[in-house]
Amino acid sequence: MSQSPIVAAQDLVRVFGEGDAAVRAIDGVSVDFPDGAFTAIMGPSGSGKSTLMHMLAGLDRPTEGSVTIDGVELAGLDDAELTELRRDKIGFVFQFFNLLPVLTADENILLPLSLAGRDPDPKLHEQLVAAVGLGDRLGHRPSELSGGQQQRVAVARALISEPAVVFADEPTGNLDSKSSDEVLSLLRGAVDEFGQTVVMVTHEAHAAAIADRVVVLVDGRVVADEAPESTEQVLDLMKQVAA
Amino acid sequence: MSSIALRNLGARKLRTFLTALAIVLGVMMVAGTYVLTDTIEQSFDKIFTESNEGVDAVVTSKQVVETDDGQEPPIEASLLEAVRGVDGVAEAAGTISDPQVAIIDPDGDRVGGGGAPTFAFSTTPERFDPLEYPEGGPPQADDEVVIDKAAAETAGYELGDEVTLAGKQEASRYTLVGLATLGDIESFGGASIALLTLPEAQRITGKQGRFDSITVAGADGVSQDALANRIAAVLPDSSEVETGEANTQSQQDDVGEFIGILKTVLLVFAGVSLFVASFLIFNTFSITVAQRTREFAMLRTLGANRRQIITSLVIEALAIGLAASVLGLLAGIAFAPVIGLLFDVLEIGLPKEGTVVETRTIVTAIVLGTGLAVLAALVPALRATRVPPVVGLREGASLETSAGRRRRGLVGLALAVIGIVLMALGLFGVLSPGEAWLGVGAAVVFIGVALLSPRLVRPLASIVGMPLQRLSGVAGRLARENSIRNPGRTATTAAALMIGLALVSFVTVFAAGLKGSVDKAIDEGITAELRLSNTDGFSDIPARTATAIEGVEGVEAASPYRYTQALIEGDKGFLSLVDPATVNDVFDFDWREGSAETAAGLGPTDAVVDDNWARDNGLGVGDAFAVTTPSGREISYTVTGTIKDNTDFFGDYFASDANAAAYNEADNITSSFVRLADGADEEATREQIEGIVDTGFPTVQTQNRQEIKDSIGDELSQLLGVVYALLGLAVIVSLFGIVNTLALSIYERTRELGLLRAVGMSRRQVRRIIRYEAVITALIGAVLGLVLGVVFAILVSRPLADEGFTLVIPVATLLVLMVLAAIAGVLAAIAPARRASRLDVLDALAYE
Repeated sequence: MSQSPIVAAQDLVRVFGEGDAAVRAIDGVSVDFPDGAFTAIMGPSGSGKSTLMHMLAGLDRPTEGSVTIDGVELAGLDDAELTELRRDKIGFVFQFFNLLPVLTADENILLPLSLAGRDPDPKLHEQLVAAVGLGDRLGHRPSELSGGQQQRVAVARALISEPAVVFADEPTGNLDSKSSDEVLSLLRGAVDEFGQTVVMVTHEAHAAAIADRVVVLVDGRVVADEAPESTEQVLDLMKQVAA
Repeated sequence: MSSIALRNLGARKLRTFLTALAIVLGVMMVAGTYVLTDTIEQSFDKIFTESNEGVDAVVTSKQVVETDDGQEPPIEASLLEAVRGVDGVAEAAGTISDPQVAIIDPDGDRVGGGGAPTFAFSTTPERFDPLEYPEGGPPQADDEVVIDKAAAETAGYELGDEVTLAGKQEASRYTLVGLATLGDIESFGGASIALLTLPEAQRITGKQGRFDSITVAGADGVSQDALANRIAAVLPDSSEVETGEANTQSQQDDVGEFIGILKTVLLVFAGVSLFVASFLIFNTFSITVAQRTREFAMLRTLGANRRQIITSLVIEALAIGLAASVLGLLAGIAFAPVIGLLFDVLEIGLPKEGTVVETRTIVTAIVLGTGLAVLAALVPALRATRVPPVVGLREGASLETSAGRRRRGLVGLALAVIGIVLMALGLFGVLSPGEAWLGVGAAVVFIGVALLSPRLVRPLASIVGMPLQRLSGVAGRLARENSIRNPGRTATTAAALMIGLALVSFVTVFAAGLKGSVDKAIDEGITAELRLSNTDGFSDIPARTATAIEGVEGVEAASPYRYTQALIEGDKGFLSLVDPATVNDVFDFDWREGSAETAAGLGPTDAVVDDNWARDNGLGVGDAFAVTTPSGREISYTVTGTIKDNTDFFGDYFASDANAAAYNEADNITSSFVRLADGADEEATREQIEGIVDTGFPTVQTQNRQEIKDSIGDELSQLLGVVYALLGLAVIVSLFGIVNTLALSIYERTRELGLLRAVGMSRRQVRRIIRYEAVITALIGAVLGLVLGVVFAILVSRPLADEGFTLVIPVATLLVLMVLAAIAGVLAAIAPARRASRLDVLDALAYE
């Protein structure tokens, strides 16, 4: 844990629609994500957790408020600059459809670097490949891999460019519990071993429990922000906020 | 169900638009062809009807040989008295109408540039005169002329000006005394007329004492038929009579025949475009049906039966087809004049006044367009409904099994082989008509290769995609992978382009071979340094041209050469008449039997024959064969030698010009070949020759061997240009195919694109992927097309190999075609690439 936040959000508001139909999906959120921390964002369906993440990651623009990543204010960036920022400073893991079907697992891992025209750090590449544990399936296409394997490749892909922050959007939402644990420990390992900053959106208590910190959203506002102790404690927390 | 079908069209506007566009373009060409040719035909009809007004009967010579130059043998002037003596003839007049004169403009060039003919007409009594004179009146003296108003405007002549006419005699000068029009007809399609007094018209056309025809008006109460019958009784066997109506009709039929050929040629090209368009329609329906498999499965689980789904798809196709056909028809009506421009490029002057839209045009356009759309949609519809609903509901259900793919490949291979065999059978005359079977064979080959090509997509994409991948890493790699991801789709898209390019490269290769062969024949066969010929490239020149330059210093020999037609052993064929005394000075024959002495010693009924023709007719030296000349004379020729005649320059045989009169060619020659004396100054001699020719014979040009080759090359490239333009439409249709396939593929890959953008792909990189994908598809089409084109050229040139046709593969041109195809791919990708790069990342990711 350390000093200045890698990602900082100040007074974020996101309104969808106009006039009577306007919905404030995010309604005044200020939150910081310090370097090397694993933060889980939780909340019931429709609480705005995904919307928050999209704005933090520069995929969506806030109606009001500001986001900075690694000291860069996102509001001033155009599409090309945002793209570059995503490529160089952000790693993504989505719930579905993380990998390009036409590329092999290894090519998928290296995709962000290929896009930037950069060569991978061979040591990091080796470490990640080992961590993903795909063995000889590295040359296979995603369609030949299990859901868990695909998601582990996606995590490696997010880590390969040594980003300032990894955003994971329900990374285990589609997996059985064993695969789910493998993906989570991969993320946890990245934080512990490389000091990677990770922000994970999830609705699963047991996933949130491995984070260093849980931020809970309800109706577009932060209603809880604390360090989780166990799955049960997170479940209790969710019950409290739901009540 | 049908309302679902129609709503689908609305929901998928772009796709519907692009599919419709393919049909519109194909139908446009068909409709345009009909409108144009009908318009031309009607314009001609009007001209003929107008000019035959007041004419009840026409006497002409009996044409023994229908020559291609439009010249009919004249009749003796003495017949006129006999016709006048017939009971019921009110008035009869001898007339001249000869299409081989030229009006020379003040700059010394021929009016009309040599495309459309200029007719020399003789004045006729007022009742026969179809002309109106907005200015002045008919010529009264032999040194007066009337020309048509359009020609006068083009050349800038006004009444009182001195006008030069060139014909079979030395050019003469006349005073312009009137301007003429034919009724309210504005234009004869570039053709001009020069009206002279009868004696002068006879003189300048070399028909002294003869007429081209006698026009007759009957007395009141005598029917045209009765009149014609009575006249027929007094005519000798060498001439014949037609009623005025029949004459108009036969003129129309003659033109109709020519226009029929044009129509067929244009319809073939229209057919190519439609054929390509049907690939596009088929592909679009295949893709959209595949994308909607789940939708159909869902409808099936809700209780829709197979037939309902098929019906709904067919209705969709019907609606697109119908709307597109109507648009295509309208576009065709507007497009007809543009096709007409092609004739102007080729200097084929044809009158086109107004716009004629026959019911047949409307029906054909709509039936063709709609029918093709429905047919092309039927296969995908059947395929889609064959998938069991439960399978269809699963994500990523494939409509094709690997066994189906294998079967498709085998069928493709079989079709390609059958197509080649059909082409060969048509080519070697086993199946007739040969051209039609050649075309059918080629179409079958195209379908076969299209079915086979999914198997070729992977290797071809690897080859053509390699440099792209080298060039730009991941974008190139993704483009290549995307293009082989759905080989059937890429293959069909590429196949559409393949068809156009195969035909383009076929004609390119073929023309290059033709040009090479002609050049070689000129270099090896002609020893004359200069040739005098008509500036229009095909008309005769006065025989006196040759004699006029004989005395020029430095001219060793001026050998007259005539290329003409006759009935040879009962069939119309070409032949040459040469001057035995000088022929060896100007030609170097490739003798099989005989020698230069044989040519020098040609008697009036001796002939040297083409060895191919001799072989086909079982003739050898010493054998005789029968010829009926255009004047009706029967000549029995004896073969005294045989030559190998590459490019068929001399026709079936050549004989002495001693008998030129029998061929109606006494006063005309095709060209004069000039041999210069040893050590003569070519420049100076040529200058002298041109000095004589330019004043006396303004329609005669002087060319050296290189210029002859160049002018043939120019003609060939002009023709080639027109063929390219006609095939261009098919290529454009296939490019829309690329646009369409890309647009649909992007739609399918929205989430993928969203992911790529999220992990840091720039818009430029997205555009690059799409662009490369288009280039890869285009190059696959180009490679397949060029290979097929070369194969076709090799195949089609086989029968010509005997004639000395040497196949030259113009590698540079073919490479240019490849590059053009790649550029076309880039252009086709512009819109889809823009669309793809503009996708909102979040929307794309959330896209289902």
